[in-house]
Amino acid sequence: MMRQLGRRLLWALLVVWAATSLAFVINNALPSDPARMVAGPQARPRDVERIRSQLGLDRPLVEQYGTFMRRLVHVGPSTIQPDDARHKNCAAFGFVHLDLGRSYQQRRPVVTVLGERLPRTLLLAAAAVLVEIVLGVAAGVYAAMRRRKLADHLTVGATLLGVSAPTFVIGLVLQFVFAHKLRLLPLDGYGQTAGEHVVCVVLPALTLGVFGAAYYTRLVRDEMIVLLKQDYVRTARAKGVGEWGVVVRHALRNALVPLVTIVGMDLGALVGGAIVTETLFRWPGIGALSVTALLDRDGPMILGTVLLTSTAIVLSNVAVDFCYAALDPRVRK
Amino acid sequence: MRSIRRRTEGVALAAILALPLASGCTEPLADPIPAAHGEDAPPQRGGTLHLASFGDIRALDPAVSAEVLAAGAGEHMFAGLVDYDEHANIVPDLAERYEISDDGLTYRFFLRQGVLFHDGEEVTADDERRSIERALNPLTPNPMSSYYEAIAGYEAYTTGKAPHLEGVSVEGRYVIAIRLQERDARFLAALALQNLRPVCRSAGERYVDNWPPCGAGPFKLLQGGWDHGRSLTIVRHDGYFRPGLPYLDAVTWTYSINIVTERFKLEEGNLDVLRDVTQADSIHFLTDPRWKHLGEYEPDRIIGGESMNTELPPFDNVEVRRAVAAAIDREQYKLLRPAIVRPAYQLLPPIVPGYDPTFEGQRYDYQAALEHMAKAGYPYDPATGHGGYPGRIRYLGYRQGLTEMTAQILQQQLARIGLHIDMQIVSYPTFLALAYRRHEIQMSAPGWTQDYPDPADFFEPLFSTKAINDEFSFNSSFYSNPRLDALLDEARHEMDRPRRMRLYGEANRIVCDDAPWAFTNSYRYFIVHQPYVRDYHTHPVWSEYLTKVWMDRPSGAVARGRRAAPLGSFASLFAAARKDPAP
Repeated sequence: MMRQLGRRLLWALLVVWAATSLAFVINNALPSDPARMVAGPQARPRDVERIRSQLGLDRPLVEQYGTFMRRLVHVGPSTIQPDDARHKNCAAFGFVHLDLGRSYQQRRPVVTVLGERLPRTLLLAAAAVLVEIVLGVAAGVYAAMRRRKLADHLTVGATLLGVSAPTFVIGLVLQFVFAHKLRLLPLDGYGQTAGEHVVCVVLPALTLGVFGAAYYTRLVRDEMIVLLKQDYVRTARAKGVGEWGVVVRHALRNALVPLVTIVGMDLGALVGGAIVTETLFRWPGIGALSVTALLDRDGPMILGTVLLTSTAIVLSNVAVDFCYAALDPRVRK
Repeated sequence: MRSIRRRTEGVALAAILALPLASGCTEPLADPIPAAHGEDAPPQRGGTLHLASFGDIRALDPAVSAEVLAAGAGEHMFAGLVDYDEHANIVPDLAERYEISDDGLTYRFFLRQGVLFHDGEEVTADDERRSIERALNPLTPNPMSSYYEAIAGYEAYTTGKAPHLEGVSVEGRYVIAIRLQERDARFLAALALQNLRPVCRSAGERYVDNWPPCGAGPFKLLQGGWDHGRSLTIVRHDGYFRPGLPYLDAVTWTYSINIVTERFKLEEGNLDVLRDVTQADSIHFLTDPRWKHLGEYEPDRIIGGESMNTELPPFDNVEVRRAVAAAIDREQYKLLRPAIVRPAYQLLPPIVPGYDPTFEGQRYDYQAALEHMAKAGYPYDPATGHGGYPGRIRYLGYRQGLTEMTAQILQQQLARIGLHIDMQIVSYPTFLALAYRRHEIQMSAPGWTQDYPDPADFFEPLFSTKAINDEFSFNSSFYSNPRLDALLDEARHEMDRPRRMRLYGEANRIVCDDAPWAFTNSYRYFIVHQPYVRDYHTHPVWSEYLTKVWMDRPSGAVARGRRAAPLGSFASLFAAARKDPAP
């Protein structure tokens, strides 16, 4: 088990390195000038040149890549002093430092910006996945239990609508109804206190959750329909187990196996940010940050978000594989 | 300055996001929240003004900030030797008065005495000198440094060959002199920008990223008041040198906000001024008698046009360029966004000195366009569609801006005179790289935003020979005219304003006739505010001037918004928990 985990983590490391390196190459291959984006489109050429030199963008690409990789993970003091110029862009994990450089546009260490944004993104991702699971599983089970009845058709129709509607439409409608008309929830923002964060996350989480729950509903419904016809379910019924017991303990548990895969992938992707939803609700997460970084050609920030996102996706995949094994004894064999 | 483009892009993106609501579901506007007192009520102190933008600011330090959005905040945090008044005239500010020597080379500023920085220290000539040297230091990532290259010793200082800026000298605790290498009529206009404004001693001699902004303006940064990407709060500086001002306790900007949400917040009374308005809402506000008088246009500060590369065929032929300038019906451009786009027939927007309302400039004249094509050797017969330029023209625009739409109009209009363009729409960073590269693009859609209200800021970067570079050539038409260069040089050194404007008048005629650009439109923003926001006006340089704004908001339920929540809502709890910042 540990050997397998180690092997998977090594692969994960390789994937993250490849994704980050690819992002570095693509970012530098684009016909655009980060120094110009920092200085502004109307800055005079000599000002742009000076800024290019200050950012180190006048050095050969290989040298820039080498500098980035050399600094990325290194050893340093466990506590970084405010006047320590060498490590001012680092996040220290004991003696191991992570240094993603300094954002060209925000003029702050990338790790600091990501550190601010990550908890907000995790909160939104967790809340959205919770909505997806609760809505998706409940609706899927309900539809499967009432197969080919009106409730089933309505549920399937609703999921079609949920899958078809873009998130910005769902978000705008929710915002209009619940925030603007009914004034039950804030229009946007993140709030200042923990309580406000929770209130503020409701609408963006619902926006993402409704969209995702539509997929989950269809998946769970189809799985449940198959599983409810299995011999062991019939046996359970014959033994006198109640309908809810049959559904929840015998069928649903097995239906969750494919769901775990989707949840894991979703969670990983959501950590990368929900761009439209974050923009619509002014949620200060990774998604909005990565788009801005791309538009600004903010190299260090682009690499930081790619590194974070690829790490999240790869690790969630590893976690899914191990959850799979835990849920299904056949996989362990 | 850079964020106008962002703003244009953002409005477009937000408008797409807003489409479902804006197109069919847009509900009528709510009633404005009335002011507590009548029109003749005297100004009162207090209150927080809530503003918002879908954009964001990157820097507040005047030495490195060049964004339009940040300038709006910076104007209220940093006072300068001179400033722009509400008509874009240059007026003394921190300086009580200034003198210009007879040879036009030395500017001597006499500072007001007893002016305090936000930290309580007095502003002196030493602070001004330190701030200028800090901003122009070779290690400062100052995107506007070269605006001040006329200062004596600039070259030596900015290349690290001299420890101090030779042309800046302190002549007493409250007197500072700036000596130029040569006469430069643009200098005061550039000095009135925020770049060289004095900053507190805590800023030190060198720029650092994490310095908390501190100046001598009417408002100061609330401690922890800048939440990157989300909000900025500034509070009244009680030591401000103009007695009784500002009236507001605080100003709060909310950033990165969706523009539909902005409208909702305005109607609910959670936002006091609406700056980002969708096209549909602009029409609503402009036609609704309850709101119409509460709206105001910002002066046009952006000029748009179609740039033709004079080094590449067919635009190396002046007759083809003239044909294009005559073939464009600018009224069609206006129809794209009638509330904010205006046709332009010459280079300068109306607010910039040198704009000539009597000058006809480039006008739509289809027959004249056909004649120019014939003179160019490419006669075109509209009846048969025969003739015209045989090749196809590579045209570059950028995504999410107005050009994405104007390019389609242009394509149709030029086809009517026998010019066929192949549109290429790219991201804005790519556009910047390609459109300004030599021998790359035949035609593109650049724009120019006023850095400072002076004709030199438009003519020199866009049409002078010295602005031509192989990469990032602002002179994107690579237009070179020795007569124009001579006029611009003469105008730069001419200190007599009427004569200087006459020179630019001639330059204007040359540029319109030679048509390296076909000028098409200017762009202005419509801003609307609640009635209780008193004495709010747009500003021709800083977008808004808040020092004299005051709040006349009624107390009680009306103040919190007109509609009470039907249920005990989370939102009201949320609103109750939010406290206005204390000054």
